Amino acid sequence: MAFVNLQNVTYKYPLTKTPVLQNINLQVNEGEFVAVMGPNGAGKSTLCYALAGFVPHFFKGEISGSIEVDGKKSSESTLDEWVLNVGLAFQNPFNQISGAKYTVFEEIAFGLENIGVPREEMKDRVDEAMSLTGISDLADRSPYSLSGGQQQRVALTSILVMRPRLLVLDEPTSQMDPIGTREVFGVVRKMAEEGMTVVMVEHKVEWIAHFADRVIALKEGRVFLEGKPNDVLTSDLLVENGFGISRYTSAAREAKKQGLWKKDKLPVTLFEAAEGFKP
Amino acid sequence: MRERLSFHIKRDSALHRLNPLTKLLLVLALILSAFLTPFYWTPHILAILVIPILSVIGRVGREYLSTAFRLILPAATFLFLMQAFFHPIGKEIIFAFYFLDMTLESLMFAFGNAMRIVVMVSAFTIFLLTTHPSELMSDLSRRGLPGQFAYVIISTLQILPQVQAKAQTIISAQRSRGLETEGGFFKRAGALIPLIGPLVFGSLVEVEERAIAIEARGFTSKHVKTSLHEIPDTPTDIFLRWFLTTLIAASIGLKLWLS
Ligand SMILES: Nc1ncnc2c1ncn2[C@@H]1O[C@H](COP(=O)(O)OP(=O)(O)OP(=O)(O)O)[C@@H](O)[C@H]1O
Ligand SMILES: [Mg+2]
Repeated sequence: MAFVNLQNVTYKYPLTKTPVLQNINLQVNEGEFVAVMGPNGAGKSTLCYALAGFVPHFFKGEISGSIEVDGKKSSESTLDEWVLNVGLAFQNPFNQISGAKYTVFEEIAFGLENIGVPREEMKDRVDEAMSLTGISDLADRSPYSLSGGQQQRVALTSILVMRPRLLVLDEPTSQMDPIGTREVFGVVRKMAEEGMTVVMVEHKVEWIAHFADRVIALKEGRVFLEGKPNDVLTSDLLVENGFGISRYTSAAREAKKQGLWKKDKLPVTLFEAAEGFKP
Repeated sequence: MRERLSFHIKRDSALHRLNPLTKLLLVLALILSAFLTPFYWTPHILAILVIPILSVIGRVGREYLSTAFRLILPAATFLFLMQAFFHPIGKEIIFAFYFLDMTLESLMFAFGNAMRIVVMVSAFTIFLLTTHPSELMSDLSRRGLPGQFAYVIISTLQILPQVQAKAQTIISAQRSRGLETEGGFFKRAGALIPLIGPLVFGSLVEVEERAIAIEARGFTSKHVKTSLHEIPDTPTDIFLRWFLTTLIAASIGLKLWLS
């Protein structure tokens, strides 16, 4: 049995006319790193909320189908129990700050205080999580005074420190520079290697190709394509349907038309492109 | 953006080492005795003697003085003038200025009230200066105050400066689109109306997201919460709390008995 199991999930917000998620079937194995991509309004954030229990426990609306994580059904659980297993870092980092803490260290400890972790263990875990995501030097800063990218790292750390079994990340690198993005992907990969299951909404296709195990492309609330990163990210269907693709893929596709690209597979990353163009 | 969003000053002093609840009781005792006392001079003694001594004990004398001069005294002065001139008591006019009359009674009345306000605001200021907000929150929830309540108190303390900063941003943005935010009173008051929408609507969306954020971090979890900071609670605290509670009860009792 898959660790995450969504069956025929259809969901409509109280105010939307048509369903935002339509017949979603999704299975994710334990320790797998799945990337989700799709145009604006495709329902990516809604999918994250559904995995994390906020749909339907927080947002109400009409839902059908079943959402299971680790053999437990979301509909039969309560939100406060569900979040212990499923950690969510959502899109806007600024509003993820608890608003009750004055330093980054305290901010990250907030979740551990709530679930009753003893003080000494709490400090150790916060230290460890901060060094993992590379923000140890921000410990005494006010969470409000950080840059967008730094806030995103704090948001990610605040969830990682709680050690969820399933980690759901909604565009966690949207405000980060290339180095930050790379580091976050590295950390996420490492967590997956250690057995954490990860579902991450992301647009940066080259990094997805490099780090993720599988890609899901959402469009208008449906799973549009699904498969190995290279297969999905080089599919002709992506360009035709307004998804962002890697410039190396575009270049190689052009090159292929002119007979310059000889391989079957198109590249997504710089490395694959360089390999393929080698004479 | 401002780096410091709380009033709290990290120092080591007898006040800092008190339990937050003890300090809250102290604030309450000061305020109640200033307001309920049958003796005219109590608020004055509290404002001029007790409060400054407390600020020195808390080693926040300088910060307190600066707040007092910038904020508390101007507000109290304004209140004093309003009441001295407009409170209709007493007959014998000791000072007149066009249509404004001041009597000895209204002067005394206004002075007493202004001092009460000084005591109240000052007591809170010293409390905020010497109390770490997270400690306050943890302590109160540990004592059974529902977490939501504690959260509302604490986040309000934090969010006020933010709302202020955001209003400023919106004003600048609107001004760059030609909105008048300077000029006469009515012009400016009118100019505020377009600010309300973004501020309120923005805040509502933010409240929803923030609720998700704290929920995602186990805020409503049924576990017994722990706290990162060790919260002081010594025999001195227990003694002081008894003492202050007695004092509060006494001032309420005295007031009831005399009325
Ligand atoms: N709270 C809500 N109430 C009603 N409708 C909503 C709500 N949140 C999102 N929607 C609608 O649901 C649809 C999917 O939104 P969602 O935020 O899941 O998209 P997304 O794929 O995350 O987009 P983006 O790339 O912009 O983040 C959109 O049409 C949106 O307007
Ligand atoms: Mg989204």
